[in-house]
Amino acid sequence: MKIMRAWILGLLSLLILPVQAQAMNVELLYVGPTEGTVWLGVQQGLDEANHQGEFLGLKYTLTPVSKEVLTKQKSITAVLLALDPDQVLSIAKLKQFSEVPVFNLNSDSNELRTACLPNLFNITASQKMKADAQAQMLAKNSDSKAHAQGWHKDFRKFAARQLNSRFTKKHGVIMDDDAWAGWAAVKMLSDTVARTQKADAATMLAYLKNDLAFDGQKGAGATFRETGQLRQLVLLIEDDKIVAEAPLRGVKGGLDSLGLKSCK
Amino acid sequence: MKFKQLLLSMLILVSVSAWADPTYRLFVTNEKDDTVSVIDSRTGKIETTIEIGDRPRGIGLSPDHKILYVVISEENAIAMVDVATLKIIGKLKPGEDPETFAVHPNGNLYVSNEDDAKVSVINPESGKILYEIKVGIEPEPVAASPNGDIVLVASESTNMVHIIDTKKHEVVANILVGARPRGLAFNHDGSLAYVSSEIANEVAIINIEKRKVIKTAAIDIEKSKPMALVLSPDEKTLYLTTGRASKVAVFNAKTLELVATIDVGKRVWGAVLSRDGSTLFTANGLSHTVSMVDTASNKSKMEIEVGQFPWGLALDD
Repeated sequence: MKIMRAWILGLLSLLILPVQAQAMNVELLYVGPTEGTVWLGVQQGLDEANHQGEFLGLKYTLTPVSKEVLTKQKSITAVLLALDPDQVLSIAKLKQFSEVPVFNLNSDSNELRTACLPNLFNITASQKMKADAQAQMLAKNSDSKAHAQGWHKDFRKFAARQLNSRFTKKHGVIMDDDAWAGWAAVKMLSDTVARTQKADAATMLAYLKNDLAFDGQKGAGATFRETGQLRQLVLLIEDDKIVAEAPLRGVKGGLDSLGLKSCK
Repeated sequence: MKFKQLLLSMLILVSVSAWADPTYRLFVTNEKDDTVSVIDSRTGKIETTIEIGDRPRGIGLSPDHKILYVVISEENAIAMVDVATLKIIGKLKPGEDPETFAVHPNGNLYVSNEDDAKVSVINPESGKILYEIKVGIEPEPVAASPNGDIVLVASESTNMVHIIDTKKHEVVANILVGARPRGLAFNHDGSLAYVSSEIANEVAIINIEKRKVIKTAAIDIEKSKPMALVLSPDEKTLYLTTGRASKVAVFNAKTLELVATIDVGKRVWGAVLSRDGSTLFTANGLSHTVSMVDTASNKSKMEIEVGQFPWGLALDD
């Protein structure tokens, strides 16, 4: 009887194990502050990645590490950075990460775009994108005192309302540029894993460059420029109210009227 | 078994004989007006306007067409309207943030709760929520298969169509589709489903048994944002509303080849087809009209002025 039971258990485990083996673990590494809105945005993205993963047999973990620990890692899917531009550049340029997607979450430094590194992905809108948005506004209305930003708590279009609402419900603070960027990076990583069913850096890098059409809940499917900048609209804000969206109506070039277009 | 069959045929007889004569009323939710416009679908004349409640969106009829259901989003409620008398006869409480729903052949409503990532199954007679089923983030379109075995719900931010087994009350399969799925429609025997995706700007066919996408077509129409899908009664033609492109895309339902486009009002969302397939009605949010389209010529023959920001349609014909 005992032998029989063991035999059945063995048989059962044979049946169950391959199913468990199919569940894929995706490990993401993060260097940056573990408080503040960029971190909360990353957490929101992680929650949503695992929400989707539950249906697909995918599990995501994100580990905050120091720069030193990061450089000792061998096999990495992607690196998420919320650091000063100098530090982002130095990490992105490391030979060991040349084939690994490195995300600059929240630095708007133009330098990180003009560097045109093939593995560096800039999520938040650059200084130049925001300056161009402001210039478009001033061209229409020379008295405008509006400033430009990437996200706003009152943004409702393109299902931005739903994103603002679930972020604030969960974290008790408003979603700002940094929070959106943290969310967007993890979300596009999980979208990529779900579609490719792979979590290796090379697949991720190729997909982000060639096939991504990301739903950042701020309009058309977002893609990356060769500068590594994520194409996106920019909001113009006056007295904490959205007064316009750039590119402004009638401006040529669409989303590429904002920021550095190419590396040439 | 025989007894069950007898019971089933009796039930069918009862439900068929309970069908009311059609009123030919077309109902339109006006999102910003808090009203439902009631139109005579044969003439295009507005019969009356019902004050329904704050932010009406999803709209549909009971299987016997006696009751009209209207989601009142800001009140977290679904109003029930008597189709014959046009009186509001009650309100259902389907959980937080309802947007739209599908009516199961057994009369239950499958409601997508957008902010809570779930589907609530509500019995309109008792008003009780029978089940809550966890789905992906921002669930919106829902469709019940013709025999009621399964219900599909698409989650817009998780980019999935979930298959809900209506006997087990749980998700039994998940199909990845293009980014931001917005519209769902079954074919008549429930073997195929059509899904439209707003951000991916595409329409796809799902084989239900294989549980996978078998065909995808990119939509080559300027400013297109795919929304509602309607299949013709002969299953040969698939109609898709395209939002700000302000057109209806007409596809060969088998090949997904674009065969025509129809100019309708601005930011077209909801759509419904007459039972005989001869007339398509569309809700045009930014022109505050409903287009009445002749499907033989693929031309709009009338623009009917309704309330502010028409969203969805239901037709009792």
